Amino acid sequence: MRILRYLLRRRISQQEAAAEIEGHLDERATELMDAGIPELEARAQASREFGNLALLTEESRAVWGWTRLEAMILDFRLALRGLRKNPGFALTAILTLGVGIGASTAVFTVVDSVILKPLAYEQSAKLVAVWEHAAAIGGEAVGPNPRHVDVWSQRANAFSGLTSFSQGVRGVSPGAESPRPVGLVVCQPNLFQVLRTVPRLGRDFRADDGKTGGPAVAILTHAAWQGLFSGDPGVIGRVIRVDDMPREVVGVLPEGFHFPNGNTLRSFRSVEIKKGVPEPWVFVPTVFDYAQMEWNGNYGNWVTLGRLADGFSMSAATAQLKGIQEQLRQQIPGGGNQKPGSLSASLQSLQEAMVGDSGQGIWLLMAAVGGLLLLACLNLANAQLGRAVSSARDAAVRAALGAARWRLLWSVLIENVVLSGMGGALGIVLAYVGLKLFRTHSPIDLPRLAEVELNPGALLFCMAITIAAGIVAGLLPGVRFASAAPHGSLQQASTRTLGSRNSHRVRVWLIGAQVFGCTVLLLITGLFSRSLLHLLQQDKGFETERAAIAEARLLSKHFGDAVARVRLIDGVLAALRSSAEVESAAYFSAMPLEGESWIEFARRPERQGENVPMVNARWVSPGYFEAIRQKLVAGRFFEERDRELSNVIVSEGEARALWGAENPIGGQLNALGKTFTVIGVVGDSRSTSVKRAPARMIYVHYGYRTPSQTFFIARGTHGAETLPALMRQVISAQSPHVFVARTKTLNAQLNDSLARERFQTFVLIAFGASALLLAMLGIYGVLSYSVAARKQEIGLRMALGASRSSVYALTMREAGFPVAGGLAAGLAVSFWIVRLIDKFLYGAKAVDLPVIASVVLLFASAATAAAFFPARHAASANPMDALRPD
Amino acid sequence: MHGYALVEVIKRTSDNLLQVEEGSLYPALQRMLKSGWVAAEWGVSSTNRRVRIYRITPAGRKQLERKVSSFERMLQGIARVMGTSES
Repeated sequence: MRILRYLLRRRISQQEAAAEIEGHLDERATELMDAGIPELEARAQASREFGNLALLTEESRAVWGWTRLEAMILDFRLALRGLRKNPGFALTAILTLGVGIGASTAVFTVVDSVILKPLAYEQSAKLVAVWEHAAAIGGEAVGPNPRHVDVWSQRANAFSGLTSFSQGVRGVSPGAESPRPVGLVVCQPNLFQVLRTVPRLGRDFRADDGKTGGPAVAILTHAAWQGLFSGDPGVIGRVIRVDDMPREVVGVLPEGFHFPNGNTLRSFRSVEIKKGVPEPWVFVPTVFDYAQMEWNGNYGNWVTLGRLADGFSMSAATAQLKGIQEQLRQQIPGGGNQKPGSLSASLQSLQEAMVGDSGQGIWLLMAAVGGLLLLACLNLANAQLGRAVSSARDAAVRAALGAARWRLLWSVLIENVVLSGMGGALGIVLAYVGLKLFRTHSPIDLPRLAEVELNPGALLFCMAITIAAGIVAGLLPGVRFASAAPHGSLQQASTRTLGSRNSHRVRVWLIGAQVFGCTVLLLITGLFSRSLLHLLQQDKGFETERAAIAEARLLSKHFGDAVARVRLIDGVLAALRSSAEVESAAYFSAMPLEGESWIEFARRPERQGENVPMVNARWVSPGYFEAIRQKLVAGRFFEERDRELSNVIVSEGEARALWGAENPIGGQLNALGKTFTVIGVVGDSRSTSVKRAPARMIYVHYGYRTPSQTFFIARGTHGAETLPALMRQVISAQSPHVFVARTKTLNAQLNDSLARERFQTFVLIAFGASALLLAMLGIYGVLSYSVAARKQEIGLRMALGASRSSVYALTMREAGFPVAGGLAAGLAVSFWIVRLIDKFLYGAKAVDLPVIASVVLLFASAATAAAFFPARHAASANPMDALRPD
Repeated sequence: MHGYALVEVIKRTSDNLLQVEEGSLYPALQRMLKSGWVAAEWGVSSTNRRVRIYRITPAGRKQLERKVSSFERMLQGIARVMGTSES
């Protein structure tokens, strides 16, 4: 207790001790003076007799203080002062670290929220996505036929629940207002039971909700409740209009509930990712009428989820399912003719199904950010080495005076820890802002984007790398400092070689390492950029300039009849064509560059049993091919007269596949339940995706079984900017029961379809540029330090007759070695790395000479620029100044 | 007793045989103060100076006994060794 009190009164105790000693000296001196000794002499004698005054005072004070802690705090304040004196260095260091740490934290948050964090459903590890594989449509994983799912739920005990759903965008309005596009999920009534989610308000679906003819109900998400009904607590029982059909709201889901949007769980796994698909807001039940469904078909229209029953692993459940599929194959009509195993199934954990695609990309990003942070730390370490060396004499003096090694190490480390601490604080702010921006303006559609937010785990990560960064940056100079042999440093004049050759070699190696990392990064960046360029510029088979497209949604109540749809289409086309801004306009049935859809079989009637590849079917109006600028290879385009005729136009690839070298014009084709006559062949186009080979297409006139999907294309006379607004206006004017789901220029659609590639390339370019900048700074730093160190040597050389150019050469040669070494090593490693990323590249080869050449050139010029200024400084030094002693 | 007086006492009592470095007394006093073996308070000395007067505490007395007995044991040990070597 007494100790506690004394510790609290520490400062006072120290002062008292000091005062006491003074009093003692005073008294002794007085005594001596009384004995007749003069004052000065008396005081001197008293001091001598006392002993080492300074040391003893210190010791007395030390009894009361926490010397270690006080020393650390003192060093901390010293470090702050030092930084304040060097604001330029401090600012750059803090910025570099802040950006590096902020980026790392942001990316880590994304990784954590999207990939690592388990899904927000109860026991989400048991949730699986169930896919079917049917050899008849290519054997890849697709959403199952609900009739098969019904069989599974009866025969398979591996699942405690199976449920199917499909997603889309529909016009929804809370009242009589005009509908707005909203994400909608059509699901079986047991969806929330399988997910084990209980609505917060109202009730869950009942088993007979969604039966044809029964009451029409809907369940809303929390966001929908807020957005459509402003959080009205009396929302249960209110009416919501979906596609102009009234439905009663019977439940509202809890706030933390997130359902994947249409991008994340795609019923055809290979379909392109659409941009801007909204999170689902409204759930609408449906009860399947299995008797009406076919056994052989209806694939890829629904997504099926299952919850594994207790005691069943995924592999056990898969095996069971495959067995049931085999039984099914033998039972369904026509299935017995097929080979065993032609109908199969596979499972995928729901989390993997949702994030699997983006997983790789995100980890790539994480690696890139980590690398950049490391580069930044290395740069900082390098800079610190330079600064540390110039205060090496400081350290030597302190060591000679008896400073402990830990003290010296600490004093260097603390500065870096302070820097990285401030950098870390800046980093958190940047990460927060960055994540906010990312959420609202995400360039790519990440799954679970709504769940991305700065969480405690991310903050912990941020702190950890901040401290690590500080230690890494400070370790090298700190170790050098602490092992400073005072003798050597003190003997040297300040202008002679500062520091040992060892430290210089370390810095040179650091440069080499930076150059190596930078080269690899730049090479990869170059390849990605070329790949992107290739995708944008390759011959697509159609033209995107000066064109715009619009998607219209026809409310089924008013446009359920094909005649009404045709009338609308005709009306829109007439209105568009009469506008002065529009050169040509047409109707077609599927959004371009969003993957394959309407996949059908098309056979020649005389070759019934033939195994034919699948085709994409499209409905178009006359003028479509002209508007989108597809080539005519043979025959003719559609004309007005084709409305009543059964004619079809095929793509080049399809013609080749079915007719080989023969002329297909006049031939017959069985598709879509009818026999068509081929009247034309158009050139292959990559209208489904620019990243794949052109798909096989057949085109029919929109008069035949007009689909409900309605798209328009317009090519402008001057440009495409005004067309989207125009199209929206024209289409809405045709009928109040039509709304425009989206409209954009065709170029915008092309860019959106390449959003992922563009994002990757953008990120890589940003990183590459930053890495290059860091490397340049590093080279500049090493060289300027080296020039300062060799001032006398250079002065001597010049005095002895060396020319300025030879001094330039001398200095820049120093940089040349690590740069060349780093480049060579980087190129060598890149060849190997490129093989790993091959599948991300389109049309770019591993050994791409132009890219390699440009990277080497870029680096050479950057290194030269960085080396130039120190070299000039060296060459312009006055030899006399250099030779003059310290 | 205050620090200066202590030094004088030690010198006189040992008949100047023990020459203690005066200053080394003070860190020792501080350590004893911290450990609670002595207590101090500011007062006025005989020469009208403001000094800190030290006083042994009960805990200090116990520590003194311990130290004295261990010192005496050591003396005994030394004496015995010296004694046997002589004879």
